[in-house]
Amino acid sequence: MEVTIGWYVALSSILFIIGALGVLLRRNAIVIFMSVEMMLNAANLLLVAFARQLGDLNGQVLVFFVMTVAAAEVAVGLALIVAIFHTKKSIDIGHINLLKG
Amino acid sequence: MPIIGILFNIFAGRRLVAGDPRTGEPISGWFATSMTLANFGIAILLFLSLSANGHHAETITLFSWFDIPSAGFYIPWAMYIDTLSAVMLLVITGVGSLIHIYAIGYMHGDKDFARFFIYLNMFIFFMLILVTGSSYLMLFVGWEGVGLCSFLLIGFWFDKPDGVGLINGRAARKAFVANRVGDFAMILAMILTFWVFGSMEYETVFPHAMEMFKANEMVSLFGMSVTIGQALSWITALFLMGAAGKSAQIPLYIWLPDAMAGPTPVSALIHAATMVTSGIYLITRSNVLFEIVRASHYTLLDIISVNDLVALTGAATALFAGLIAFTQFDIKKVLAYSTVSQLGFMIAAVGMGAYVAGMFHLVTHAFFKALLFMGSGSVIHGMEHGHHHMHEHHGHGHDDKHGQGHDAHHEDDHFDPQDMRLMGGLRKQMPWTFVTYMAGTLALAGIFPFAGFWSKDEILAHAMFNARDNGMTFFYVIYGLLTAAAICTAFYMGRQIKMVFFGQPRHEAVKHVPESARTMVFPLVVLAILSTLGGFLNTPYFTFEAADSAGAAYFVGHGGEETAMAEGEHAAEESHASEEPAMAEGEHVAEAEHAEGGLYLAYEHWLEHSIPSFELTKANELHMPHTPTWLNYDVAIISTIAALVALGLAVFVVYGKRPQNATDRDPLQSTPIWWMAVLPLDTLFIKGFVERVFNPFSVWLAEKFDWAFWHDFVHDRVIYDTFVTSSNFLRDVFDPKGVDGIVNGTARAARRLADVFRITQTGNVGNYALSLFLGVVVLVFYFVATTN
Repeated sequence: MEVTIGWYVALSSILFIIGALGVLLRRNAIVIFMSVEMMLNAANLLLVAFARQLGDLNGQVLVFFVMTVAAAEVAVGLALIVAIFHTKKSIDIGHINLLKG
Repeated sequence: MPIIGILFNIFAGRRLVAGDPRTGEPISGWFATSMTLANFGIAILLFLSLSANGHHAETITLFSWFDIPSAGFYIPWAMYIDTLSAVMLLVITGVGSLIHIYAIGYMHGDKDFARFFIYLNMFIFFMLILVTGSSYLMLFVGWEGVGLCSFLLIGFWFDKPDGVGLINGRAARKAFVANRVGDFAMILAMILTFWVFGSMEYETVFPHAMEMFKANEMVSLFGMSVTIGQALSWITALFLMGAAGKSAQIPLYIWLPDAMAGPTPVSALIHAATMVTSGIYLITRSNVLFEIVRASHYTLLDIISVNDLVALTGAATALFAGLIAFTQFDIKKVLAYSTVSQLGFMIAAVGMGAYVAGMFHLVTHAFFKALLFMGSGSVIHGMEHGHHHMHEHHGHGHDDKHGQGHDAHHEDDHFDPQDMRLMGGLRKQMPWTFVTYMAGTLALAGIFPFAGFWSKDEILAHAMFNARDNGMTFFYVIYGLLTAAAICTAFYMGRQIKMVFFGQPRHEAVKHVPESARTMVFPLVVLAILSTLGGFLNTPYFTFEAADSAGAAYFVGHGGEETAMAEGEHAAEESHASEEPAMAEGEHVAEAEHAEGGLYLAYEHWLEHSIPSFELTKANELHMPHTPTWLNYDVAIISTIAALVALGLAVFVVYGKRPQNATDRDPLQSTPIWWMAVLPLDTLFIKGFVERVFNPFSVWLAEKFDWAFWHDFVHDRVIYDTFVTSSNFLRDVFDPKGVDGIVNGTARAARRLADVFRITQTGNVGNYALSLFLGVVVLVFYFVATTN
């Protein structure tokens, strides 16, 4: 069975939807964080797949950028979560509603 | 010359400090006085140097004041000294010095003695700026400055008890506000001047105006193209408005009678001799502009030319104020209305183009009106002391029980030392004051040979001459009004003299009136001499056309004689200040010089150099009404006889049934019985005219028209009420509903919106993420939909 571009697109879409649902539905900050990573990687997969399909290296280069930014984001995000945990003794975002108007 | 200009400022600066030392009244007072005297000395120096250098005007630039190169707006702080400002300087500093000396006596014992002299000095300072400034803007600095000093000095006794202070404060405010109206016009006039000529300096504006007039240039104003005559008409009309404010003319004269609330030296200095004449100075200074307007025959709103309007304003004010003065009982109010009336004379004179006559009347009026005011101040002072003394006399025996002594004289609680009805017979109590007051009265009434006769007659002669010989028929109206005003003048002064100095004392206080202190009497004497002789400055008597050498010789001789007389009088008065003969000498020396140079009226010859219209008239570029340089016998005789008759009438009417006590009616209101018996022919006149028509008319004019209608109705009801109503509307409706409504409404709207949107801010990250997601979905649908 030939693995066509459609499979990649399908897999990427599934990963992205799982990530999006995770962000929207889960309450644990770390899980949300992991979901965000999953969405990023879904996008990465799609980029690589199309780069390969079209023979264009630009897509693959862009993936490196995305990974770099994701790494930075993880560093900042985890630091934030640790800080929140220090003050709130919880990482449930249902409890973090200081910005409620 | 520059050194003198710098000295001015040094003195000005030092003068402001002068009042500070409170070590004692004499130091403070005399220091202030000496500063003014020093200025007077400088004025004499300027005067002499002007005579020496052939009357050339000098401009002394001290520093650059405004300099905006892009707008071409450059105004230096400069002194402009010419013969006109020299005369003003002499009057201001000369009369000012005398009043300073007088004030040392008058203000003796006042707790704010030093403050008074600070204000007085500050006033002199600003007045000097006003007359020496080289541009309209500098004139305006002085103009506002003297207005401020006037305000401060009218309200000087703002803290007097029993509501008097309130009245004083109100009078001060009134003066300030009325002046502001005129000042507003001044500002507009200056802006227009700058607009048209691109400058505000006299030396630039006047020649420029002349050139534009000769070239028939058009000026663009408010997008319209108008002739220079039209443009200047509006400028000069605004100047008239400004002058009306400062010089108390209709319709802005209302503040001057109220200004009498201030201390009497102030009334003499500011509200009679100097400040109120600045309007006349302004018009005289702008003579070129006014004459161009006359030559251009442009009429305001097709009714009246500005010059005629000026003359009419002056003449109407002269008559109107003269009529009001008839029925006043306050000794100073009579003089106040008289001042308004005399200022009307001056304004009328400059309006008719008789600038020299106007300035001449200004000078003589400064002498005799300052004299009269200070005389009345002396009387008031005396009355207060007499009243005080009377109290002590009666309260004898229970000195320590002031309350009891006070009760015993309860009826005197409302004792008004300025009420002429309470006076009478003062000539025995105050011989010096009486004699000097008489001199002032005769001068004011225009009796030969006192100063007022010459100056007033010159104005009248000018009107008559130009009406009869030059076909300016409008001047007949002016002449008529002014002659009537002159008769009024004589009448009310006769009445005043009669009520104050003759007859029986009508109040116990009069018997205890002492003669005033020497510092007060001395200036009176000096001014009395000046009032008597001042008229010879410009008398045509010695200036026949042919008698050149003889006239000169006579003049020199006469000058010497006068000086001798002045000194003689002076010696009698134990002189301790030698400045006055110096002034007399200075002027007479100058007179003699002019007389040698050629035969003109000395004063006119002197002032001519400051009034370029003369030169322009000679060069046939302008035509200004010429003032006759000879004595106009018919005019002189008419006015002298009229003045004498009026004076006599006043004396007789008041004499016939003079009030024996304060409750008696003013004899003006009741015809003396013996009139019928002695002069049956006049009975009809008195009964029919004076009593039925004239007295009610005058009272009506004063009480109904002036106070009830003008002051109360127009000012209090119409202007005040309109103002208050509109203010109240603004306060009660516009501000809370309008302004606050907008402001609060905005706030309320924001709050409501916030209430609506607040619910979206849950603080829950999940919700935000959802909205983000939905937003993305919407965007994706949008792009998908639009790309296909």
